[in-house]
This record gives sequence, C-alpha cells and structure tokens, in this order.
Amino acid sequence: MSPPAWLGYDWLAPRFIGWMLEGVVQTAWLSLLVCVAASVLGIVLAALQPSRLRWPVNGWLAAHRYTPLLVQLLLWYFGVASLLPEGAMLWLNAPHAFGPLTWPSFEFLAAFIALTLYSSAFIAGEVEAGLRGVPAGQYAAAHALGMRPWQVLRHIVLPQALRLVYRPLLGQYLAVIKNTSLTMAIGVAELSYRSRQVETETLLTFQAFAVATLLYLLLVLGTQLAGVRLQTAQRGYGDA
Amino acid sequence: MKSKLILALLLAAGANSAFADRIDDIKKDGVLRVAAFDSNPPFGFLDAQTRQINGLDVDVARHIASKLGVKLELVPTNPANRIPLLVSGKADLIAANFTVTPDRAKQVDFSLPYFASGQQFIARKGSLQKPDQLAGLRVGADKGTTQEITLRDKYPATKVVSYDDTPLAFAALRNGNVNAITQDGSKLAALLANAPDKDKFEIAPFTLTREYQAIGLPKGEARLQKLVNDVLLSLEKNGEAQKIYDRWFGPSTKAPLPRDFKIGDKV
Repeated sequence: MSPPAWLGYDWLAPRFIGWMLEGVVQTAWLSLLVCVAASVLGIVLAALQPSRLRWPVNGWLAAHRYTPLLVQLLLWYFGVASLLPEGAMLWLNAPHAFGPLTWPSFEFLAAFIALTLYSSAFIAGEVEAGLRGVPAGQYAAAHALGMRPWQVLRHIVLPQALRLVYRPLLGQYLAVIKNTSLTMAIGVAELSYRSRQVETETLLTFQAFAVATLLYLLLVLGTQLAGVRLQTAQRGYGDA
Repeated sequence: MKSKLILALLLAAGANSAFADRIDDIKKDGVLRVAAFDSNPPFGFLDAQTRQINGLDVDVARHIASKLGVKLELVPTNPANRIPLLVSGKADLIAANFTVTPDRAKQVDFSLPYFASGQQFIARKGSLQKPDQLAGLRVGADKGTTQEITLRDKYPATKVVSYDDTPLAFAALRNGNVNAITQDGSKLAALLANAPDKDKFEIAPFTLTREYQAIGLPKGEARLQKLVNDVLLSLEKNGEAQKIYDRWFGPSTKAPLPRDFKIGDKV
C-alpha cells in the first residue's frame, strides 16, 4: 500500500491500514465461529424436520428467515440485554479470562448469537434439501443393517446429503462473511466499523471504503476458491 | 466574491465606528438591538405562553440593556445569519450561544465568555468523577463525531464503542453495555431529562474539551466591549450569573447540568 504519487490523491497512512487489517481479523474470526455453530444448529434443525417437532421448528425457521438481520442484531444487543438482571450484564461486560482464553465482549457475543441463529435457519434449508436428495433406499438399507436413526444420519445419509448441497452451503458461508458487516450497528469492531472509523479520522472517504471493499472481496473470494478446491480434492479422494 | 462582500461590510462597519461611537448611537436611540436565537432552548427560544423570546442569552442581554439604561429589542436569528446581522448594523450585539472561534474573530469582536460547553459524560451516579477514571472503562460515543476521536487520542486505555446516534448509545448505557457515554454537555442534559430511570445516572462533573460562548460585538467598539465585559463580571460578582444559570440548567430544571465555568475564568 505505498502511495501512488502519480494519482495525486492522499493515501491512507499505514496506521489506518493497520486498523483495517484488525477489522479483517475480527470479521474472519466472527465468520468462522458463526459458520461452525450455524452448521451444527442447521443440521440439527434439518434433522428434526421429519419429526413431531416439525411445526415448532418451522416456526422458528420462519422467524429467523423472514425478519431483517439488523433488527435481530438490535434485538439481541439492546433488547435482550435490557431484560437481563443488572448483575448478569455487569458480568457479561467485564473482562474475564479462562486460562489463555478471554471472554468475548458483549458486542461480539450478541453478534455471534444473532448471526448464528439467522444463518442456521438458511443452512437448515440447504441441509434439508440435501437430506431429501438422498435416495430412500439408502435409509432403508442402513436400517436393515440394524443402525439406530442417529447412526443412519451420521454415517450414511448426512455425508451424502452434504456432498449434494456443498455449493449452496458454500454460498451461505460467503453470505455469513458479508452479513458480519451489519454488526457494526452494535459496535463490533469488524471491517466495516473500522473503515467507518478510518473515514472519520482521515476524511479520506473514498479511500477508506474502497480499501474495505477490496478487503471484503479478497476475503470472500479467497473463501470461495478454498471451498471449491477442497471439494475438488475430496472428490478425487472419494472416487479413488 | 464572498470575501469581497465581507471586506466591503467590514469597511462599512469600520467607517461607521470612525464617525460615531456605537454606545452614543444606542443611547440616542434608546434601544439596544440584540440578535438572539428564537428556536434554540434554553439559550434563546420563543416562549409559547408569553410569545416573547426568552432564554439564558436573553437574560444576559437584558442586564446589558439595563446597564445602558435603554430598552432591549431582540432580533430573531439563526446560526447562519448572526454575523451578517451584526456586520450590517441591524443588530448591536449577538447573544445567541455564539462560540468563540479564531475565524469569527476576524469578522467580529468577542466579550469575555459567559458560558462554556464541551465534551462531557453520563455515567451511573458516583461512578465517574475524574478524567483519570476513564482508563479501562467502556465508553459509548456517536459514530463520526469529534468526541470519538478526542477520546481515542487522549485516552487510549479507554475502550470506545461507537453507536449510530446518541439515543442508541444511551440505550447501551442503560443496559449496562457501556460504563459511560460521551457527547456535548447540553445535549446529554436534554437526553437525561427524558429518561425514565434518570435517577440512576448523572453528568460527570468534568469536561474534556472546551468551547466558549460570548457576546459578539462589532469590530473596533472598544467602549461597548468594555461595558459588556464589566456587566458580565459584575453579574458573576453579585451572584446574578449563577441565578441565570440555575434558571435554565439548575437542579430544579428539566435538564440539569452542573456549572463548572464562571465568568472571568477564561479571558
């Protein structure tokens, strides 16, 4: 990021590029945690679809799919927080350490919860489609071998289902990365928040948001390429 | 173009003062014309009941008029036309929450400051008394404000969390997400006034940055400037300045704000 003098524009000082990179780390870390947690939750929700819990699960999914993410973030950060007892809020907002691990800020925690619930509703949809795509014979054969329902799911159906919907799932993960930008509304110091901060401090409006755009592009494109490459590698292994 | 116009106006004002002292004109007319806000409570606003302009600035102006022994005539103004009114001679003084800045000092003279505002904090009662205590606290600010920058530059150990606007920051404070929030003092006072649980919070008794409000005068009116300054200093001395302050910002008002500036503190 050396200044291209021929452009005749002011460039962002290294200190501000540093702020942006801190934002990238925060964005990547939040995205990773949300993708893992939302996948687990999404699979559980999809697996519950054929069960007696179908209607409550559908209601839960609808509530998270059909409301704006920003409102859900505000609900968790401002709304739920105002219902918690004062002592709980004091604890949640104070720094805590568990060995080498530190307790996350309340902003991060609320963002993680809201994003995970929101994303899991979409991931559940993809996983459900995958489960439907696995031939009925696979279920029947597994049952015939004496497997319990969760064993059927874990060892036989789910691996096939996930392979079927790998690309749409990857698309959901890319959406998670972009959706983390909304958490700037509740004060999470991720990339968008940082770029806005840099803009305030430097008044270099175009530069601040252009660098943020570029960094998002690298992050999302990088994840996409890595995901595709992983799939190709797996296929090669599976076919052998 | 603009600067030429201002120059012309300045020359006109200069020429004016060369011929006659403004004080003589005011006394001859029997009227002191003061530019005051008509929609900026509590500094200057149209009182719904009396239909008169009232406020802290007006109270100060009233004392200046009575010292001169003339009638007070208020000229309604807004931030944009304060200086033009004064420079064109349509007003003798500006008393409209008029902040002292070097740029303005090129066009007008200032009295001693009679009011000070600046970056302050709301926190839970008793939890924030000195600026040193800011270190390690989580403080809510408004995105894109100078307050955010000041805090980050001067108190690097403070964790600044920025929100989209002041009411959201205040919601975060009331929830306990942050330990304090920061904004301009009078804005915080108004915010606190409307909170249902305002008894739990207070405005911390210190100010990080300072802005001073003073009476604006035409350039080169040394006698008028001295008279205004004398009136202001005597208001502080005889306790009238405190009374005026308490009328608009005192403990019994809707938006109380501790007084931490006295006339004469800043010259």
